[in-house]
Amino acid sequence: MSETAIEIHDLTMAYREKPVLWDIDVEIPKGSLCAVVGPNGAGKSTLLGCVLGTHKPSNGWIKIFDVPSDRSDELIGFVPQRESVDWDFPVQVLDVVMMGTYRRLGWFRWPGKAQRDWAMECLSAVGMAELHSRQIGELSGGQQQRVFIARALAQDAKIILMDEPFAGVDAATEETIRTVLADLKKDDRTVVIVHHDLQTIEDYFDHVLLLNLRLVAAGPTKTTFTRENLLRTYGGQLTLLDEAAEAVRRIRSGRSIRKSGDR
Amino acid sequence: MQPNTLVVLLGTTTLGLCCGLVGSLLLLRKRALLADALAHSTLPGIVLGFLIAGSQSYWALGLGALLTTLVAAVLVSRLPILTRIRQDSATASILGIFFGAGIALLSIAQRSGPGAFSAGLDHFLLGQAAGMLQSEAITLTLSATVVSLIMILLHKELLVSCFDSSFGKGIGMSMGRIDLLVMLILAVTIVISLPAVGVVLTAALIVIPPATARFWTDRFNRLLTISGMLGAIAGAAGTLLSSFKVDLPTGPVIVICAATLFSISLVVAPHKGLLGKRLRWIQRKQRREMQRILIFLHENLHAGNDFVARERILAGSLNASSSALRLCILSGYTEMAGTHVRLTTEGIRRAERSISARNRWIQWLDSEAEIDRNLIDLDEEDIEKLLDRKSMEIPPVDKGATS
Repeated sequence: MSETAIEIHDLTMAYREKPVLWDIDVEIPKGSLCAVVGPNGAGKSTLLGCVLGTHKPSNGWIKIFDVPSDRSDELIGFVPQRESVDWDFPVQVLDVVMMGTYRRLGWFRWPGKAQRDWAMECLSAVGMAELHSRQIGELSGGQQQRVFIARALAQDAKIILMDEPFAGVDAATEETIRTVLADLKKDDRTVVIVHHDLQTIEDYFDHVLLLNLRLVAAGPTKTTFTRENLLRTYGGQLTLLDEAAEAVRRIRSGRSIRKSGDR
Repeated sequence: MQPNTLVVLLGTTTLGLCCGLVGSLLLLRKRALLADALAHSTLPGIVLGFLIAGSQSYWALGLGALLTTLVAAVLVSRLPILTRIRQDSATASILGIFFGAGIALLSIAQRSGPGAFSAGLDHFLLGQAAGMLQSEAITLTLSATVVSLIMILLHKELLVSCFDSSFGKGIGMSMGRIDLLVMLILAVTIVISLPAVGVVLTAALIVIPPATARFWTDRFNRLLTISGMLGAIAGAAGTLLSSFKVDLPTGPVIVICAATLFSISLVVAPHKGLLGKRLRWIQRKQRREMQRILIFLHENLHAGNDFVARERILAGSLNASSSALRLCILSGYTEMAGTHVRLTTEGIRRAERSISARNRWIQWLDSEAEIDRNLIDLDEEDIEKLLDRKSMEIPPVDKGATS
């Protein structure tokens, strides 16, 4: 676990004059399942964008497996926020997954049978092979998420970024996504997820990154996801503060009960 | 048919193809209005080209048009980034400003321009393919072919840029370059279509074919293909129709042809057409009613009434339609005896199948919370197929329990 997948150094990001991220220094170890947590407007999605390369940081640098991100050949998978996708777009499930192979194909070349087979394999990995010819809008929420995860697999991405995959999904879908996440972790992939539900963090993630314009804290969930750190992250927002405290209390007690049950 | 007409026909056909292809991109980027704004912003360029060159040379007018279109394109894409003006306002403003300037310049040119030539500029407003020179038609054909080839070669990059451009950036595709290319392609397409379709209606030829194609497919490649073909058909048909009656301008006729194809697709397209939707809805409703009638009769059978009055089925709590009942009789599930109806043996079997499938289905839905919206309203045949495929763990409900 000592290898570092993503290293962010002195990163500052500003839209026009307004800073959105300020002086971020963090390392995310390889194979971790890391939650990015913070209040609205804390710059969580922007941070993902910087790692992905869609946003150019104003200052600082990012290294992917020890290579500066703009020179890195490492493919980074990205599962976009549900609302940002045009679900009416005329593409079928398999077409979306095949996009994962485009980088390796290069300009002008058309995807062929090899790409199609590989994409089907990736779809099977998330249990979606039989839905390959559906238009993407005809899928349920969990299936839609899995299509984009399959696309990341088709890229053979060692790092996968997800923007709120759990937002607005029902309990069963949440469970499905969790299973897929566990599989990704088993493959030693690094997954970074923007997450809102403080109550599930301890159960789902082994790393957290607490963010509010600046980096508040980052590290293993056990030592980092503490009451003090949450209070620092959510600052003056009183209602959220109480919620956060409540969440921690509830989960801490829940965990101790489960532990005693295990013995 | 004169040889010139043939060349012009070839030109407008490839033009239609090219417009259809380019239009798909705009449709998918939700930027259809952009085509209209850019088309209108060619007018000042046409007139300026004419005033500067002093003649109606195709190249002078074309270059002028391309220039002002590109300026408009840059303004439309930059204004929302640099200022607080939103994209739609920017597009609409540019359309108005450039077209207004163009009309003003046009009236100046017609009053003071070099003589009789200036009258011909009107043709650029609505298009007059019949008046096209052979050399113009050939230039048109070549440019349209080049644009179409670029689009076919780059279709996968274009797909990514339309669908998910941040993904594209993430895998190192230069989305900025592709956006620029799309703008350039669009500007060229608009400029070459001016002599045939005219400033006012070019946007229609760009937007209508892809909107029509969307009725027929759910796939990107096919959308491009179908849209291109529809554009080509509209271009060819419009040119032929308007060349029979010389006083009809080509632009409007081509657009009417495209609109006709749109209307036909709107009604008859199999999955998304209004007719197909309506028919499927009626069929579904009727199958649901048949199922209800059979189950109702089956319940009565178990309560000891073999025969049920027709009126009770049609008007009672069941309130079924008479056509559903007629269908039950035609399918051999029920038979009439005077004013009464009863299940045949076939009907009994069908009703039992129906009941058992429903119960299994409800169990399945209870056990599997991830419900597919398309799948909830099924009849017994669909349910049996689906559940067998999923190799359900839930055993079939035994018949004794259901009755």
